[in-house]
This record gives sequence, structure tokens and C-alpha cells, in this order.
Amino acid sequence: MDESTNELDVGKDGEGLPSTLSSFSSSCTLQQPKALHTFSREVQDGLLHFQILKLDKQLYIWVGCNSAKLGQLYASMPTPFERTPSLATLIGGTADNVGASIARRLALKTGWSIVLACNLPKNSPNLEAQAEIQLLQELKTLGFVNRATS
Amino acid sequence: MNEPSHAHKVPSFPVSSKEFSTVVQGIKTDFILSSYDDYIFVLVTQLGKMGTLLQARKEEGYGAEITFTVSVLLGKHDEPMLRACARQLIERTSDMGSSRPLLLSLGLKDHSRGTLKEIVERVCENKVW
Repeated sequence: MDESTNELDVGKDGEGLPSTLSSFSSSCTLQQPKALHTFSREVQDGLLHFQILKLDKQLYIWVGCNSAKLGQLYASMPTPFERTPSLATLIGGTADNVGASIARRLALKTGWSIVLACNLPKNSPNLEAQAEIQLLQELKTLGFVNRATS
Repeated sequence: MNEPSHAHKVPSFPVSSKEFSTVVQGIKTDFILSSYDDYIFVLVTQLGKMGTLLQARKEEGYGAEITFTVSVLLGKHDEPMLRACARQLIERTSDMGSSRPLLLSLGLKDHSRGTLKEIVERVCENKVW
């Protein structure tokens, strides 16, 4: 690939060109914010790791506990037909649905489509609850959850 | 330069990732690559959305025969170029020594062969595996 294509992403004086994505910044290369937001939180039952990626009315989220496996993958989206967002299990497919309700609640609270990769141990409802609390806190800080749903 | 100047590596978090933005066939394209223990996640978007989610894996059959399978998890089941892209990516990553399946998210404006070929190249240039 011709290196000059990189110049198209940044103007000559470092000023950004308009981006089609609000979450991707093509501004000055010196301080480009990362689109993939990662953080870790120590909670009562363990160390949790999170990735949050904001897209256009969509969130990709990964949550792991002491592990870097992908976990079960869910997609949840609000539907005009009922109050409860739809849910699909994309990877995982066992009866144990760790993370399924988290995905649904996130879709409900943000109004967005959620793709959630959840790598939490089975039979740890405390950990699941703690993970959801941390996630919501972070989403509130980021401004993606800003009001109680009616 | 081997990789785009604004590709970020995240070292201390258990999952390493890279993200970068480039122009593919005239369209601004954003890439996020994330390396999990058991999957490689590749998100490529021109629309700002995840688009179609595909899974691609390599399986070893009888007599060390290798087969690649691609399945659409969410989105366009009937877009052969997306499947072809997933197929190419799993073959290439496999060639490069990776045995992990791919989770691929493609939110593209353009499904042309040229675009998909370039996408495969950009991903392979920025390996996280």
C-alpha cells in the first residue's frame, strides 16, 4: 500500500478531517483517542477486565474475569414490538446464559444494539452482578447511559 | 513504514489490541483487531457500524487434512464476498501460524473484490496473533 494514503487521514497542520464515525477520531496523530476503551476493576470476587467499543448506536463489549478468552457472544437489540430487547446467542449456545441478561439490560438502558462477549464463570451470580455494575458505571461516565428508562 | 503511524498497541491489559484507520478504495475504513486467547476479533467498518458478524475456523480432519469453515452469526447471510473475505482471512492467519478462529465484523459500504482484498492485506500487515 502506498504510504501516502496515510496523509489523507490527517491534514497537513495536524487538523482532523471530518470522520464518518463519532467514536473514531482522525485528528492530530499526537493525541488520537482510542476507540476501544479498556479498563480493569478489582471487585469483591475477582479482577474484571472490560473492553467497550462505541459505534453508531451500537456497543461492542467484552468482559472477562482473570482470563483473556472471548466467552459467550450475545447480540441484543431493542425492538419496537416489545419492551424487552431481543436476544440472540451467537457463540456459546449452552443452557447456561451467563451474560445474556446483562446484554438485554444494556440494550434496554442505552437503546442501542449490543454485542456482548462475556467470559464470566458459571454459577457466580455475584460476579455477574458486580460486572454489570462496573459496566454501567463506566457507560454512565462515558455518557452512553444517561437517564433511567421509563 | 510497516504499519500505519497511528496503530496503538495496548500491552498491559490481558487482551492485546490494535486499531488504525486507512483509506480502502477511496473510502475511510476503520480497523480494530483484538487478540483473545481463543479468538482473534477483527472489526472493519466504513459505516460506523458492526455490520455482518462472521466466524471463521480451521479444522483438522482425517489425515491432517485442513478444512476452513465460515459461518454468518448475524447479518447478511447472502453476501458471498463477505464469506470470501472471512475465508481468505482465516487461511492467511493460519498460514501465518495462528490456530485461533476468527470473529469478524464487517460493516462495509463497498463489497467489491478490490476492497475485500485490501482489507485482508491491511489485517495481515497488522497481526495481533
